[in-house]
Amino acid sequence: MTAGTASPSTWWVRGHGWWGPVLGLLLVASAGFALAHGQAGIEPSGVVSVLASKVGLVDVAPHDRQALVDQAIIWDVRLPRVLLSVLVGAGLGVVGVVMQTLTRNQLADPYLLGISSGASLGAVLVVVAGLGAGQASLASGAFVGACVVLVMVLVLGSSHGQLRPSRTILAGVAIGQLCSALLALVIIWVSRPEATQGIQFWLAGSLAGGTWPAVAATAAALALTLAWCLASTRALDALAFGETSAAALGVHVRSLRWSMLVTTALLTAVLVSVSGSIGFVGLILPHAVRFFTGPGHRRLLPAAALAAAVFLLWADTAARTLFAPRELPVGVVTALVGVPAFVLLLYRTDEAP
Amino acid sequence: MPGSSRCSLSGPTGGGRREGRRRLLTAAAVVVLLFAVAACGTSRPTVPAAAMASSAGTPSGAQVVSCGQAVTLAGGAPRVVTVNQAATEIMLSLGLAQHLVGTAYLDDDILPELASAYDGVPVLSPEYPSREALLATRPTLVYASYPSAFQPEVAGDRATLAAQGVQSYLSPAACPSRSRSEPLRLDDVWEEIHQVGTLFGVPARAETLVDEQRRAVDGARATTVPDDLDVLWWDSGSDVLTVGACCGAPGMILEAAGLANAFPRLTGGWAEVGWESVAAADPDLVVLVDADWHTAAAKRAVLERHPLGRSLRAVREGAVVVVPFSATTPGVRNAAAVVELVNSVARVVR
Repeated sequence: MTAGTASPSTWWVRGHGWWGPVLGLLLVASAGFALAHGQAGIEPSGVVSVLASKVGLVDVAPHDRQALVDQAIIWDVRLPRVLLSVLVGAGLGVVGVVMQTLTRNQLADPYLLGISSGASLGAVLVVVAGLGAGQASLASGAFVGACVVLVMVLVLGSSHGQLRPSRTILAGVAIGQLCSALLALVIIWVSRPEATQGIQFWLAGSLAGGTWPAVAATAAALALTLAWCLASTRALDALAFGETSAAALGVHVRSLRWSMLVTTALLTAVLVSVSGSIGFVGLILPHAVRFFTGPGHRRLLPAAALAAAVFLLWADTAARTLFAPRELPVGVVTALVGVPAFVLLLYRTDEAP
Repeated sequence: MPGSSRCSLSGPTGGGRREGRRRLLTAAAVVVLLFAVAACGTSRPTVPAAAMASSAGTPSGAQVVSCGQAVTLAGGAPRVVTVNQAATEIMLSLGLAQHLVGTAYLDDDILPELASAYDGVPVLSPEYPSREALLATRPTLVYASYPSAFQPEVAGDRATLAAQGVQSYLSPAACPSRSRSEPLRLDDVWEEIHQVGTLFGVPARAETLVDEQRRAVDGARATTVPDDLDVLWWDSGSDVLTVGACCGAPGMILEAAGLANAFPRLTGGWAEVGWESVAAADPDLVVLVDADWHTAAAKRAVLERHPLGRSLRAVREGAVVVVPFSATTPGVRNAAAVVELVNSVARVVR
């Protein structure tokens, strides 16, 4: 810590490296807590013994039915869900930061380009058209819908082979509106709320479908995007000052924007298909994190990823345990908890110059 | 979501989830099951022959109270429009087809024993009719099973209808004022049958129908089924399960069948619960609701695929039974559903 450069009231603001290890520890501790708490009241010792048996330290008696059930609960349901909430949260945080920088728009969020509307339409069509039941087909319908919208937005948003930010945003908003209208049409036309009710939960944002394959797909998409973004932090910093400045600093603005938009949009498509559209996280958390880290992407990106992961992990833990045995869509919790917290943060940072 | 809050029997998230039920893919299978049940020697409540008599009955001028609103049919031949299947089936079961100037909104095939009477009634719409189409029949009474029928784009609210000289009757099971923690009982359904009988001056037919249903349910209850079976009533959903809660039709059918609900403390008719809670509840029996938007076969597939579905004791022991969705709308079908359920349970649980 560089003593003396910060006033006492702003010691926590900007530039200090404390957040990295703190957020990392917080994430690990939160994950441990989340894993030990759930609708089925399994003692922490039970959780530990399941994990121990899974890594081969202990053998489970094949006839101990309760132990096998506990094992299924912890290993096949709770652990993938905890991991998925971490990965989805981190992904939303990263994409939110990048979208806000690329579009130089504070209101940009991962769903700005209409990707979640496209995913919702795809999912509803799969469910209504009866192409199959269950999470696998819903997720694939959502992914296809998201990709179709992405291609349309990129085609509409570019002229003469060049992607124009304002044009892309307008195209995204327009296509998103079109998808919403079609979604309403499909739901009203089939006039069968029960048929679409199953995906209402997913539309509102839910991690209840967390499975190991979903975890693997999300982890792969997140790793690629995060690596690409971290390799481009200097270019992103330059772009934050505007296109001309970036170009003057030797940044290939056009190719950067293309590659960033496409990679983050693909990650968003994966996120939406495994979790629906979870509001607030990708929009507000980047702003909240910027208060602490400043605008530099080398710190902002990993901090936003970690903070969003911790936030979504707690939100999902609340969504599945607060009103047990009932569940809430996690998107409801993120907004209910996140918005007041953010308002508080706005007031607090108002005081600090 | 458009069309939400259509129905007061709804679960906590989708207000209108009880609406728009459709023809079951397995209607044929259900019919086969019905015959199998009949062959077992258990009497199934049927519509009494007397109720099918052609005499229409005369409106008594008697007043009944429907969800806080007085209803009376005085003077002249009543002109009735039923806008939900359960309402239609109650009217037909009481032999009141002659009073129907229109019906609407079939979710499922009409009960076979009512089909010929039904065929003589004009169908205004496969779903809800528009307000104009409804009023064009010059009804004196609109009879609905769900409050959604009184939305502006359908019949309009009941007070407006009353001002236009149109009486309205809403099923007591679906009164908007009903508390979410007040259990629905078969008696509530039978009360509706009695009220309709009174309104149309055929109280004896209502009495006969209710008595027959009551005897059938009592008879089924005499079947030896272990006491205190905890039952998971799985209506829909795969990642998060929509299950029967305390106070709607699922709770009513379970209670009447002498079975315990695995989630008795959840208020309302239905609620969303997590798989962990299902595993922790460790039900003795699983009821799969068979609806064409989420079939029993799809639910069985989820049970096989989901790690916690596979590990449920009831699933491993084969204690899984199927109930058709149309039986879970409050109406003349519930008593038969109770009898069927008891018989299926007796087959899978020893």
